[in-house]
Amino acid sequence: MEHMMSKLSESILDKFSMDFLRSQVLKNAYGNDDTVIAALDPRILIVWYLFFGVVPWFVNDLSFLLGCFLLVMVTTLLAHVAGLVLFLFALGVFSQTGYLFLATLLFGGDASAIPPLLVLTLKVATISLASVTVFSGLDPDRLSNGLMWYGCPERLSFSICYAYRMLPMLMEEFQNVLLSYRLRGNPPAHDTLWGKVRYLIYQVKIIMESFYPLMLNTAKRSRTTVEALELRGYRYAAVNKTVKKIKLSALKVSYNDLLFLALSALWVALCIFCSTLF
Amino acid sequence: MSTVQKTAATQSQKLMIFVLTMSLYGLATLFTELIPKFQVGLVEFSVEYFLFIPLTLSMLFDPLSAALGAATGELVFSEIMLGQFGGLGELEKFLTVTIGVYIAGRLVRDPKNRAMVGVAAITGTAAQLLMGTIVDIAKVQFAVEDFEAVAGLPESVFATEGFAFLNDLLFSGIFFCLLPTLYLVPKLYGKIEPLLGMAPRVAASTTSGLSPKAILTCVIGFVCAIVAELAATAGMSLIDWEAEWAESGTALAAGMVVATALAVIILLVMKKNGERNAVC
Repeated sequence: MEHMMSKLSESILDKFSMDFLRSQVLKNAYGNDDTVIAALDPRILIVWYLFFGVVPWFVNDLSFLLGCFLLVMVTTLLAHVAGLVLFLFALGVFSQTGYLFLATLLFGGDASAIPPLLVLTLKVATISLASVTVFSGLDPDRLSNGLMWYGCPERLSFSICYAYRMLPMLMEEFQNVLLSYRLRGNPPAHDTLWGKVRYLIYQVKIIMESFYPLMLNTAKRSRTTVEALELRGYRYAAVNKTVKKIKLSALKVSYNDLLFLALSALWVALCIFCSTLF
Repeated sequence: MSTVQKTAATQSQKLMIFVLTMSLYGLATLFTELIPKFQVGLVEFSVEYFLFIPLTLSMLFDPLSAALGAATGELVFSEIMLGQFGGLGELEKFLTVTIGVYIAGRLVRDPKNRAMVGVAAITGTAAQLLMGTIVDIAKVQFAVEDFEAVAGLPESVFATEGFAFLNDLLFSGIFFCLLPTLYLVPKLYGKIEPLLGMAPRVAASTTSGLSPKAILTCVIGFVCAIVAELAATAGMSLIDWEAEWAESGTALAAGMVVATALAVIILLVMKKNGERNAVC
């Protein structure tokens, strides 16, 4: 039994390594270009998101919320979102409302707390699944172009593109720094409970300390990045209308995009129809 | 051109600070999003707070660029990249992180003064946490229907949020904000600035000190966050009223269904025609 437990925890830890995280993030960003959702126009998807990200928050009708939830669940499945993201979504929903439910029970509430909390859960789940569909299903470049078309600050779309490109490198560098600290360090023995606590503190301390070289390295890198951007006239191009027009000319709305919007609208209308019937 | 310039940062140096804070804090928040939290009863032990990174950087560099970079980094790396973008809530998070980091950065006149750094770090953290708590309570109150009617719910929300605030401040605030900042600021001081082509911050520099104008800006920012909440409530009653009006007519809903179904059919036909034309 003990052997099995240790094996189990080992395999979980194996799965949760830095490389796993990196591959999941990369897969999330660039691994699903061929899905139905990724082929849609980013502007249309942002409009779609604005509806499903805002409206459920204001509606308290159970059948309408359930319908919206089913729809965004289907789109999430269509977008082939990475497993890690879905796991985080489930965890997030539970920690927001499941936790509240337990606390309510603790303070003497009873089953009467379930319906309002179910409504709240559905709201939270719908909104976050809609965002998962749009922000994980789309290519970062397309997403930032779409945001730019709506007049979002250039800083934001630059940040999105930059973040997706730099993140794997940053993660690798962080891992290297961390490993070098571990190689040179002398961890305390962790057989007893007190030793385990000290071991945990030691690990956290190493993570904190490894930010020191990381900060210096990233400072050098960000100077290089900004100087390279300046050489290409980034700050002038960012506010220039012609540049923006050229950059956004690749975006085209097709029948598929309109069909997607119309189908979503049909589904929502059906939900409203049902909620008026019952 | 000399590599070391005066303390007032130029535009490109501000962009450098922005990029630096964004990447570092973004990376850190990504980890916190991925590392599972574990709870013992109501006490939550999480490595939730890597706020020491923007705090440190805002004390060494231009506070506003660092604060904006941190908030953007969190938004982009941990919310958008992992698909956890939450709409209105993100605006408040963005504002509270910006204000908290900015306050801490403005408070420090001389980064070599450890007491000043410590006070600033804990003040910035507390400001950010307090604003987050207020917004959280308000959000749950507005979202749950018949909030007062559900037995035990109001007390539990106040208790859990208040407890989470104290817990975060005493646990994460001290271990993950105060101590690392106290460790990093003196160590980085004078070493990291030349890498961005700047002179280290001194007591006489223009960026330090909390002026009334800066306080006013922070207050306005927080009011914006609250106004966003209030606008949400006002909008909620408006839309509720509209929904009631719509519910009175099943015919209207049926009409909507027919109209959208027609739109779908027309689009399908148009698409087919378009494809046929393309083939011919």
